[in-house]
Amino acid sequence: MANSSMQDIKRRVKSVTNIEHITNAMKLVSAAKLRRAKTTFEKTGEYLHFVTESIEDIFNNSADIPKKYLEGNRDIKTTCYIVITSSRGLCGSFNSNVIKQADAEIKADPERPEIVAIGVKGRDYFRKEGYDICSEYMLPPENISFIETHDISVPVLNDYVDGKIDEVVMIYTSFISTLEQRVNTVRLLPFEIKRNLDVMPMEKQVDYEPSTEEVFNYLVPKYVEIMIYSAIVESATCEHAARRMAMENATENANNMIADLTLFYNRARQAAITSEITEIVSGADALK
Amino acid sequence: MPKSVMLDIITPEKLFYRGEVELVIPRTLTGDEGFMANHTWACKLLDTGELWIQEKGQKDFKIAAISGGFIDIKDKFTIFTDYAEWPEEIDVERAKKSGERAEEWLRSHTRADENEQEILKARVDMSKAHTRIGVAGGGLRRKR
Repeated sequence: MANSSMQDIKRRVKSVTNIEHITNAMKLVSAAKLRRAKTTFEKTGEYLHFVTESIEDIFNNSADIPKKYLEGNRDIKTTCYIVITSSRGLCGSFNSNVIKQADAEIKADPERPEIVAIGVKGRDYFRKEGYDICSEYMLPPENISFIETHDISVPVLNDYVDGKIDEVVMIYTSFISTLEQRVNTVRLLPFEIKRNLDVMPMEKQVDYEPSTEEVFNYLVPKYVEIMIYSAIVESATCEHAARRMAMENATENANNMIADLTLFYNRARQAAITSEITEIVSGADALK
Repeated sequence: MPKSVMLDIITPEKLFYRGEVELVIPRTLTGDEGFMANHTWACKLLDTGELWIQEKGQKDFKIAAISGGFIDIKDKFTIFTDYAEWPEEIDVERAKKSGERAEEWLRSHTRADENEQEILKARVDMSKAHTRIGVAGGGLRRKR
C-alpha cells in the first residue's frame, strides 16, 4: 500500500518538475520577445503621431477637404470589426479579454457585422458563433511588416469607399505596462476630427501638391493603415507580456506543488518505515 | 555656404535618418524636386524613387531608395515613407528578380483580363526594383 502511493507521488513530482522546466523556458523566451516587440512598438508610435498631426494641420487650414472620410457623411449601417487576438495560446486571459469585449460590442450592434479577424483565436471563436468573417490573417503578429498590413487595410478601405461598410471599429489590447494591459476599442472610420478653434491658423501659406484634396485622400487611408499596423504591433507586445506573466505564475505554482508533494512523499516514507518497525517489533514479541 | 535645415526621415518601423542637410531631392509625383532651407511651407506626395541628400558641409550626396509617402516642408523637413533603404542594405539580386517577375507578369497580363489594382501593383513593384538597382549602383541620376 504505502509503497505504491510513494511510487505515485514520486512520479507526480517528476512530471511537475518537467512542466516547471518548460514553463520556465517559455517565460524566458517571452521575456526576450517582449523586449524586442517593445522597441518596435515604441518606434511606430512616433510615426503615427506625425501623421495624425499632419492630418490635423490640413484640416485646420483648408476648407475644401473631401467629406467621404469624415464623421456624419452618411448613416452608419454596417460596421466592420477588426478584432486583434494572438495566434497562440498559453497567454493567460489575453485572448478571452479581447473576445469578450468584441462579443459585447457585436451583440449590441443591431445590424449584421462584418468581421476581420487577425489571429487564430479570434477567428475560431467568431466562426463558431456563426458570424461572417470577411477576411482573416494568421501570420504570427510579432514579425509582421508594414507592407504586409497593406493586405489587411486595403480591402477594408475599398469596402468603405464603395459603401459596403459604413464604420470601421478596431478592438485590440493596448499596452499600459509590462504588468497591465487593457482592451481598447477605437473607431478608425469615419474619421472623427473637430475643428479646433483654439489652434491659430498657421502663419504661412502651405503649398499642397498635387492638391489639398489629394494629399488628404492619401493621408487618411495611410492613417488607417498605420493605426492597424501599430495596433498589431502593440497587441503582439501585450501578448508576450501576458504570456510572460502566465508562465511566471505557472512556474511558481509548479514549485509550490513540488514542495507540497515532496512533503507528502517524505511523510509517506516515514509512515512506511514506522509501520515496518512496528511489524518487526511485534513479530519479535510473538516469538518470545 | 548655404543654410542648413533639420531633416527627419521616418518609416513605420523606424527613424531612418535624422541630420542637418543643405539640400534634399526627393521624387514628387510631378518629378524630382530639390528643397533647401527657407523653402515655402509645403506638403507634397512622393513617388517611388531615389532620394538625394546633401549633408551640411559635405560635397557628395547620400542616396537612398524610398517608396511613396510625403514630404512635409516647414521650418523642419520631415519625410514619411513606407519604405527606405541605404545602398548598402539593398540586395541587388533580389531586386533584379522581383523586377523581372513584375515585368514578366505585366507582359502576360493585358489590361482587359486583370483589374487595375493588380496592374498598378506590378508597375510599382517594377519601379521599386529599378530604383533599388539604381541606388545600389550609386544612383541613376548624374552627379553634379
